[in-house]
Amino acid sequence: MSKDIKVSTSRKGDIAVISIQGDVTAVTGEVIGNAYESADISNSPKLLLQFDKDCYINSGGLASLIDIASEGRKKQQKIHAYGLSDHFQKIFHMVGLTRCIPIFSSEEAAMKDF
Amino acid sequence: MEQLVELHLPNILGSEKEAIVKAVTIAEKMGFSRDRIEDLKTALAEACINAIEHGNKFDQNKRVRVTLAADDNSLQVIVHDEGDGIDPKKIPKKRVRDDGLPCRRGYGVFLISNLVNEFYFEKNPGKGNNVKMLMHLNG
Repeated sequence: MSKDIKVSTSRKGDIAVISIQGDVTAVTGEVIGNAYESADISNSPKLLLQFDKDCYINSGGLASLIDIASEGRKKQQKIHAYGLSDHFQKIFHMVGLTRCIPIFSSEEAAMKDF
Repeated sequence: MEQLVELHLPNILGSEKEAIVKAVTIAEKMGFSRDRIEDLKTALAEACINAIEHGNKFDQNKRVRVTLAADDNSLQVIVHDEGDGIDPKKIPKKRVRDDGLPCRRGYGVFLISNLVNEFYFEKNPGKGNNVKMLMHLNG
């Protein structure tokens, strides 16, 4: 695993969860992609992306998240996110990522809205 | 306050963090808000990534030079690469794919232009390419 990122997967009821800590970049995006590719995650109809508030995301990392959104759309998977700092919530809005991965203020809100 | 700092970064993705740390230190001293410092961090990172990837084309024999010039009113950031420069007309404008999802790449310049007060390219044939960004303290 890349030293700049920590990614783990889990399940909360019928919701698959990918937890992300660290730098989301073109280099580390592969780690998130690999986590997504695991059958339990990519085949779940509901996916929650749980970001640590200190996550750093650059344009290469956005590309990796857009790949997941693209795969999710093909599978009719609903993807929600929470935990992002105010700055990266703004970046998600700027690039239009919130159209396919809506951001929620808390885990409870993100899970309730599926 | 006047301060001038010049950094020479290896042409490797990730080296931009050194410039970000220095820029944040200067911006904090100048009194920029936390939100604007976050904008600066992203804009500087994207300019460095573009320099490494598109300017210097990942050539590890080349360097990226970052100049941070602070005065009482603004912080100017210049990111220099050794490439041929880019034609601003060739920067992809399309942000949304036909299926409604965001395009996968091409956000560097888009983000920079939305996060700093002023931004422009300076092409010096044979001498490299500059991206100049200006952040006003009260902007």
